[in-house]
Amino acid sequence: MIEDGRPIFVQIAEGIEASIIDGSLSEEERAPSTNELAAFHRINPATAAKGINALVDDGVLYKRRGVGMFVADGARAALLARRRQAFAAAYVDPLLAEARRLGLGPDDVAGLISERTAGTTRKEPS
Amino acid sequence: MSSVIEVQNLTKRYRETTALDDVSFTIEKDTIYGLLGRNGAGKTTAMSILTAQNFATSGQVRVFGATPFENPSVLSRMCFVRESQKYPDDATGRHALRMARLFFPRWDDDFATQLIEEFALPVDRRIKKLSRGQLSAVGVIIGLASRAEITFFDEPYLGLDAVARQLFYDRLLQDYADHPRTVVLSSHLIDEVAPLLERVLVIEQGQILLDEDTDALRGRAAAVVGDSAAVEGFVAGREVIYTESLGRVTSATVLGGLSEQDRQRLVAADLDVAPVSLQQLVVRLTRRAAESAPKHKELVP
Amino acid sequence: MNRTLSVVRLQLVNKQTYLWVPLLVLGGALLITMVIFALLPVEGIVGGGAQAPMWYFLVVGVQSLTLTFPFSQALSVTRREFYLGTMLTALLASTALAVIYVLGGLLEGATGGFGTGSIFFQVPGVWDEGWAGAGLVYLVLSFAFFQVGFFCATIYKRFGAMVLTTGLILLALLLLAGVWLVTRLEAWGRFWGWVAETGVLGLTLWSLPLLAVLALVSYASLRLALP
Repeated sequence: MIEDGRPIFVQIAEGIEASIIDGSLSEEERAPSTNELAAFHRINPATAAKGINALVDDGVLYKRRGVGMFVADGARAALLARRRQAFAAAYVDPLLAEARRLGLGPDDVAGLISERTAGTTRKEPS
Repeated sequence: MSSVIEVQNLTKRYRETTALDDVSFTIEKDTIYGLLGRNGAGKTTAMSILTAQNFATSGQVRVFGATPFENPSVLSRMCFVRESQKYPDDATGRHALRMARLFFPRWDDDFATQLIEEFALPVDRRIKKLSRGQLSAVGVIIGLASRAEITFFDEPYLGLDAVARQLFYDRLLQDYADHPRTVVLSSHLIDEVAPLLERVLVIEQGQILLDEDTDALRGRAAAVVGDSAAVEGFVAGREVIYTESLGRVTSATVLGGLSEQDRQRLVAADLDVAPVSLQQLVVRLTRRAAESAPKHKELVP
Repeated sequence: MNRTLSVVRLQLVNKQTYLWVPLLVLGGALLITMVIFALLPVEGIVGGGAQAPMWYFLVVGVQSLTLTFPFSQALSVTRREFYLGTMLTALLASTALAVIYVLGGLLEGATGGFGTGSIFFQVPGVWDEGWAGAGLVYLVLSFAFFQVGFFCATIYKRFGAMVLTTGLILLALLLLAGVWLVTRLEAWGRFWGWVAETGVLGLTLWSLPLLAVLALVSYASLRLALP
C-alpha cells in the first residue's frame, strides 16, 4: 500500500483524503490516530504525524484537545473541488497526449468516452 | 527538538586507514535514525566511539551534553549491542538477560519475557551453542527491553529470517510509539527498514554523505525514462546521479524534485517518471561519491 | 559504587564459573588423590592436587576479560566499574576457596589425612604459622593466579600477541639474569637461607607489592582496551 519512491507522509495524507472522498470517513468523525496509522502501515509514527499535520494545515482535519483528530465540516466538498481541478492535469492531459500519438483527435476521444460510458452503465446499472 | 548527541570534527585513524574523517553531525532526541553505508564505511566505528567502547583520534563527542568515556551517568542511558557481540562463554541466554537487567534503569522484564517467547529463543541453552539467528535474537531482546534513551542496533538481524526480522521491526515501532526514545539503526537492508526511519545518515569512506529527513529524501529523486535523446534534453542542467541505457532507452536518476511544469514537459516529451526507492537512491549516491572521491584512504602516510 | 556491586552480581549470575567448577575441580582432585593414597601402601605422602582450583582461577581470570568484558561494554558498564567489580568478585571467590582449604586442612589434621595418613591440604610450610596464616597464603595465591590470568589477557587485548609474548620472554630473561647473578655472586646459600627464614607466609606477603604492580598495569591497560 505504501510505496517507497514517494514521501510517505504525502501518501498517508492522500489515504485519509481518499477515505473522506469515498465516504468511509465522514465529516465530524474521528480520524485514525498517529499510532494507529503507524502500526497499520508499519511506518515511523513521526512520519504518520506529519501526514496528519499536513491535513490539519489544509483544514481537512482539526484537533479536539485530548480526544484526537476529526474530519472538518465541509472537508469533503473542498477535497472534491480540489480533486476535480487536478483531474484535468492528472488524467485528461495524458489521455490527449496518447490520443495524439495514435492519430486520434479530441472529437474521436469524446466519441470514445460516450461509447464507453454507455457500455459501463449498461453493465453496472446503479 | 533537542539533540542528544553532538559530534564535532570526529576523526578516527587506524594504522593504515581513516575510518572517520572529520565528521560532524547531531542526533535528535526521540528520533529513529538509519545509519547507512557500505561495509567499512565507518558505521560501527562511529557507534563504538559514541558509546565509549572505542576512542577518537581527534574531535569531540558529547552525549547528553557530557563526554561518555568512563561516565556512568551517560553510559547507563545508552545501549549498544554489536553485530558480533561477545557473551560469557558458559552463560545461557537467560543469564545474559539477567545480567543486562542489572544495568539498564528502564529495563522491562515483562517485555523481555514476551520477546523471548515471540523469537522462540531457547533461553536455557548455552550461548556458544546458539545459532547465528538465535544469537542475534539475544542482542535484539537486550536492545529492545533495555529501553535505553539511546539505543544502537548494529545490523541486528544477522541470521534472522524474514518473519523474525518483521517481528523486530514491528516490536521496535510499537515500543517506540509507547516509549519514545532515540534509536540508531545500522542496516544494509535499506528497503526493509526504510519505513521505520525518520532520518537517515549515510556514511561513505568515513564521511557523511547524507544527513536528511527520510521523507524529504524520498521526494528528491526521480528516474526519467524514455528515448535517449529526449532524456538527455530533459536532464540537461540538472543533477544526474545515475544513468543506464538499453538500446535507445535511457533511465536517468535526477535530484531536486520535479515541478508541475517539469511534469508537463515530461508528458509532452513522452517521457515516463519512475519512483526511486530510498535504497536505490542511497546506492546510487554512494556509488557516485565513491567514483568521484579522491582515494584519500590510500594517501594516509 | 552501586554499579560496581552490580558487576559482582553480573560475574556471579552464572554460578558455574565462580562456584561449581572450582568446587568440582577441588572435589575431583581430592577424590583422585585419596584413591591413590589408599592404593599406595606408604603413608606421609604430600599430594599436589590442592593447587588444581588455582590453575582454574588463571583461566577464569583470562575469560573474565576476553568474554565478560566485551559483554559488560554492551551493558554500558564503565571500564573502572568492570575492573573494580571483577577484582572484588575474584577476591570473594579466593576468600571462599581459602576458607574451604582451611576447613579441609583442619579436618585432614583431625582425621589423620582422612584415614590415609597422607597430606592433601596441610602442605608443609603453608601451615607453619597456623590455620590463619595458611588461609592467608591460600587467599593470596588464588587471587594471584586470577590476577596473572587477567593481566596477561588485558595486555593481549590492549597491545596484541606480540607485546604479550615479548613481555613474557623479557620476564624469563630477567629471571635467568637473576639466577646468573646469584650464581655469579655465589649467593645461593644465602638465598635459600633467606627463603627458609622468610617462610611461605613471608614469601606470600613479599608477593603483594608485585601483585599491586600487576593490578595497576592491568587497570591502566584496561582503561584503553577495546571490547
